[in-house]
Amino acid sequence: MAHHDVSYLAPKETFLKTVMSWVYTIDHKKIGLMYLVAVLLMFFLGGVAAMLVRAQLWEPTRTVFVSEDGSVYMNPAEAPEGERDSLKTETRGIFFQPITTYVSRPAVNLLSGSTVGAVITASQDGSPSVSLPESDGQTSNPLNIALTDDGSPIFTETTDQRGNKVWELRRENPDSDEPGPVLASITVDGRGNPSAEAGSGLSTRKTTIREPGSTITTNNIYNRMFSLHGTIMVFLFIIPSIPAALGNIFLPIMIGAKDVAFPRLNLMSWYIYVFGGIFALYSVIAGGVETGWTFYTPYSTTTDWGSVTSMLLAAFILGFSSIFTGMNFIVTVHKLRVPGMGWFDMPLFIWALYATAIIQVLATPVLGITLMMLVFERMFGIGIFDPALGGDPVLFQHFFWFYSHPAVYIMILPAFGVISEMLAVHCRKRIFGYRAIAFSSIAIAAISFLVWAHHMFTAASPVANVIFSALTFLVAIPTAIKVFNWIATMYKGSIAWTTPMLYSAFFLFCFTIGGLTGPPLATLSTDIHLHDTYFVVAHFHYVMMGGTVLAFIGALHHWWPKFTGKMYNEFWGQIAGWTVFVGFNVTFFIQFFMGTQGMPRRYATYSPEFELMHKISTFGSWLLAIGFLIHLVVFAHSVFAGRKAPRNPWGGLSLEWETESPPLEHNFAREPVLTHGPYDYDTVVPPHYDPALYPLPERSDNAPSHH
Amino acid sequence: MIDLINTSSSIINTASGALADSWWTRMWFRHSGSTFAPSTDALYYYIFFISAFFFVLLMGLLVYFGIKYRRRPGVAAPLSPAHNTKLEIAWSVIPAILFAVMFFWGARSYLKMVVSPSDSEVIQVSVWRWQWEWVYPNGATPIQNEKVNDREMPFFALPVDTNVKFVMSSQDVIHSFYIPEFRIKRDCFPNRYTTVWVRPTQVTHRWDEDLEKAVPIDPRNPGYYLFCAEYCGDQHSQMANRVAVLTRTDYQKWLEAQADTSSIPLIELGLLVSRNNGCFACHSVDGSRGSAPTWQNIWNQPRPGSRDGKVDFNYVRESILEPGVFVVPGWPNNMMSYQGRITDREILAIATYIQSLNPEFAAQAQEFSRQEMEAQESEDADPIDPLEPEMN
Repeated sequence: MAHHDVSYLAPKETFLKTVMSWVYTIDHKKIGLMYLVAVLLMFFLGGVAAMLVRAQLWEPTRTVFVSEDGSVYMNPAEAPEGERDSLKTETRGIFFQPITTYVSRPAVNLLSGSTVGAVITASQDGSPSVSLPESDGQTSNPLNIALTDDGSPIFTETTDQRGNKVWELRRENPDSDEPGPVLASITVDGRGNPSAEAGSGLSTRKTTIREPGSTITTNNIYNRMFSLHGTIMVFLFIIPSIPAALGNIFLPIMIGAKDVAFPRLNLMSWYIYVFGGIFALYSVIAGGVETGWTFYTPYSTTTDWGSVTSMLLAAFILGFSSIFTGMNFIVTVHKLRVPGMGWFDMPLFIWALYATAIIQVLATPVLGITLMMLVFERMFGIGIFDPALGGDPVLFQHFFWFYSHPAVYIMILPAFGVISEMLAVHCRKRIFGYRAIAFSSIAIAAISFLVWAHHMFTAASPVANVIFSALTFLVAIPTAIKVFNWIATMYKGSIAWTTPMLYSAFFLFCFTIGGLTGPPLATLSTDIHLHDTYFVVAHFHYVMMGGTVLAFIGALHHWWPKFTGKMYNEFWGQIAGWTVFVGFNVTFFIQFFMGTQGMPRRYATYSPEFELMHKISTFGSWLLAIGFLIHLVVFAHSVFAGRKAPRNPWGGLSLEWETESPPLEHNFAREPVLTHGPYDYDTVVPPHYDPALYPLPERSDNAPSHH
Repeated sequence: MIDLINTSSSIINTASGALADSWWTRMWFRHSGSTFAPSTDALYYYIFFISAFFFVLLMGLLVYFGIKYRRRPGVAAPLSPAHNTKLEIAWSVIPAILFAVMFFWGARSYLKMVVSPSDSEVIQVSVWRWQWEWVYPNGATPIQNEKVNDREMPFFALPVDTNVKFVMSSQDVIHSFYIPEFRIKRDCFPNRYTTVWVRPTQVTHRWDEDLEKAVPIDPRNPGYYLFCAEYCGDQHSQMANRVAVLTRTDYQKWLEAQADTSSIPLIELGLLVSRNNGCFACHSVDGSRGSAPTWQNIWNQPRPGSRDGKVDFNYVRESILEPGVFVVPGWPNNMMSYQGRITDREILAIATYIQSLNPEFAAQAQEFSRQEMEAQESEDADPIDPLEPEMN
C-alpha cells in the first residue's frame, strides 16, 4: 500500500462517509474548523448589518411623507392621487424603503345586483368608512346611500343596549324626513374591537378586507440592524471566534495532547452553538430584535416588535456552548500537558485560553440566569425588572454587566495570547517578561469580575460609582504591562514583515488607542459626558475590532499553513491587511470626535453638524469591506491553488510546528518529547526548519538567563 | 495627591484658557456652557496629553524597532535580556500613579456634580416615549416651541448663573437626560426619581418683547441640545429639544409668558393642565379602569347624591377643589385638593375637556371653547360666565 494520508483533512472513501466523518467527529481540529467556518459566516452577517447601519447614517435625516392613515411614502408621487394634498412631512432615517404591514378589518360589501355597490369598513379605532365604486359622476351612488351636501355618506352614531358604540349607514329616503332603512352598521364593543353587520333591505356580504396598516418606519429598521449587528457579533462571532475555533484546533496540539479532555463534550458544545444559532436566526427571520444587544429593561420586557424571546433563548443556549468549551479547556490544560511541560513552559496562548476559560465557566451562568428571568418576565408577567410589575430595571443592568463585562475579556484575552505567539515567532525573539504576561492574564480575569458597574455610571448610586471607577483603573494596569512587554519583545529581534507580523503591529496600534481611550471612560466626571456617545462606540470598536478581530485575522494567517496545509499569497495578504487597517481607522477614529462633540449612540437620525463626520465614517466602512473581501479571495485562492505548506513555515518553536501540515489525525505520530521551551529562539534552531536560514546569535559567557 | 491634582489642573486650565475657543477646543468639545464644563474638559485634556505621549512613544518604538531590526538574511537576532525587573516595575508603577491622579480628580469633580446646592431652583422633568417635559417652579410648561431637526419640540430656557436642579422620572422605559454643552447626563427611570443639577454660565438667548419669545443672541449659535442618551426605541434619535440660557431678568419674563395660558383654547388647555398636574395617573380618558373614575363619557351622567345630581361644570369644580365632599360610590376618597394650585380658567378648561370626551357633547364643548376664546380676544364682548354657559 502506498503512503496513506493520515491528515485529519483527508477524505474518507465515499462522499457520504466523508460528510458523516465531519458530523460525528470528535476530533478537536474538525470541530474547531467547523466553528471557524461558522464564526466567519457570522462575521459576514454581522458585517453586512454593520454596513447597512453605516449606510443609513450617510445622511442625517430624510423627509418622508405621511398620509392621514399613517402610510409612509419616500416620494409624494407614490401616494394615491387623492391623498397627495393631505400628506404631512416627517423626519426619519434614510436609505430604507418603508415596509407596510397589513391589517384585516371587518367590512360589509353592499351588493347591487351582482356588482359591489359599496364597501363599508371599520377602521382600527372602529370609526366607519365607505368606499364607493368608480362612477360616471351622474349616479354616484347606485345604492342610494344617504349623502351629505359634500357627498360623503351619512353615518348615525348611536349606542346599543350594552353601551357599545354603533355607526349606522342608512339608505337615502327622498320621500320623507324619516331616515331610510339601515344598510349596514359597525359596532365597537367594550374592548374596542370593531365588527361589521349587514343591515336589511339589500343583498350584502360580510367580509374582511386587507388594508395597509401601520408602516414600519425607517428608524425601526435601523434599530433592528444595529441590534442584529451587536447580538451576532457578540454572541455568535467574537466570543467563540478565537477560543472555540482557533483554540479548539491548537490548544491540544500546543500542549502535545491527542485531543481535548472531553472530545464528546466538545462536539456537544458545537451542536449547542448551532442550536443557539438557529434560535438567533429564527429571531431575525421572525422580525428581529430592536432592543440592542444589551436587552435593557423595561424596554426589552415591554416592546412588541420582533421576537425578543427567541433571541434571549439563543443567547441563553449559546452560553452553554461557551461554558462547555471553557470547562473542556480548563481540564485539558490541567491534565493533558505533555510530560515535562510545566505551567511556565506553556505557550502564552495557552495561558490566555486558560484565563478565558475560567471567566467563561464562572460568568456565563449569571448571564443565563438573567436572560431566563427576562424570558419569564416577558412570557409570564413575573415582575423582576419591570417597575410596572414591581421590579427594578437597574437590577437587570447589574446582572447583565456582571457577565457582560467579564465577557469583554473573554473576547480580548485570547487575542492577547495570539499576539504573544505571533510576535515571538515572527521576531525570532524570546517573549519579553513571560511571567508578567502570564500573570497579567490571570489578574485581568480576576479583576474583570469587579468592574461591571462602570457601564452604569449614569444609572447607579454615586458611592458605588466611585468604588467602581477605582477598580476599573486597576484592570488598566495589567493591560498596560502587556503592551509594554510586546513592544519590548521587538527590541533586537529579527523581524519578518509577514502578514501575521503586520497584523500584530496593527493590533498594537489599534489596541493601544482602544486602551488609552479607556481612562476617559473610567474617570467619573469625563465619563458622565462621554457615556453612551460615539466615543464609547469608537472605544470598544478599537478594542474589540482593532484588538480581537485584527488579532484573529493575523492568527488565521499565522496558522493557516498549519491547519490547511496550504500557503496563502503573501503579497495580496498584506495588501488586504493595509486596506483593512486604513479602512478601520477611517471608520472609527472620527467617531471619537463625534463622541466628545456629544453625538449619542444608537441614533437613526442626527443633527446636521455631524454629517461630515458620519460620511467619513461610512466611507471608511466601505474600505473595510473591500479589505475583508480581498482576504476572502486570498484564502479561497489558497484553498484551491495554494502551494503546499511546509511543516514549519515561520520557524516556530511551540509544538504545533513539529507535526505535519495539516496535522495528523491524532496530532502527532508519537507523543512529542519536550526538548526546549516555546520561546527559546536564541538557542534552538526550530524543528523542520533550514538551519542555514536560521542563524543563531553568538553566545558569550554572560549570556542572559532564561525568564 | 490633592496637590498633584491641583497642580495638574491649574497647568491644564492655563493651557486650555490660552486655547479657549480656538480650533483645538472646537475640535474636541461643544461650547462650554456650565460650571462643570471647564473642569471636565481640563481633566479630559490631561488624560489626552498623557495618552498622546505614551501613544507616540510606543508607536515610535514600534516603527523604529520594526525598521531597525527587520530580518536580514544570515543575520541572527542579537541577544538581549528577556526580562528586566527595574524596567518592569517602572512601567507598572508609573501608569499606576497617573491612573490614580485621573481617578481622584475625576471622582472629586464627579461628587460635585451629584450633590446639588440647597438653593437650587427645581425643575420637574418628566419623560416618555418620545418627549421631554419640564415643569417649572411656577407650574408652567413651555408654550414656546422650536423646530429641532425638522420637528416641533418644546423649547426649554434656563437662567444664567443660577443653580438649577432637575428632578426626573420616566413614564415608561429608561431615558437619559443629556445636555452636551453642560457635560451632564443622568438616566431617568420609571417609578423612581433621579436628580442632576447644573449652573449655566453663558447666555445664549434674550427675551424679545415683540415676538414674545426667547430668541438667540447670536444667530450662529441657536442654543444647546437636550438629547436622550439611553436607547428607547423608534424615535429615540428625535427626542432632541432646544435648551437656551437667558439672563435672570429675561428668564423671569419668559417664565411668566409660559405660565400665561390665556391664548390657549379651553379644551387644549384642559388636556395640558390635566397632564401637568398628574390627573392621568389615576383618571383615564379611554374608559380603562385606573385608581379613580375614568373621564370618558361621564359628562352629564347622573351622579345621585351630588349637589347637581349629574356631572357638570359645578360638579367638576367641586371635585377639583373639594374632592371629599362627594365621592363616587365604590371609589376611595384619596384625591388631594387642588385649592390654590389651579386657576379658575384652568378648572373651566378641565371641565370643558371632560365635556369634550363625551361624543354627545363634544360639539358643544368645541363651540364653548371657541366662544370663550373670542370673548377673551374682543374686549367689548360681554364676559362669559363659565358656570352659566348657554346650554340645555
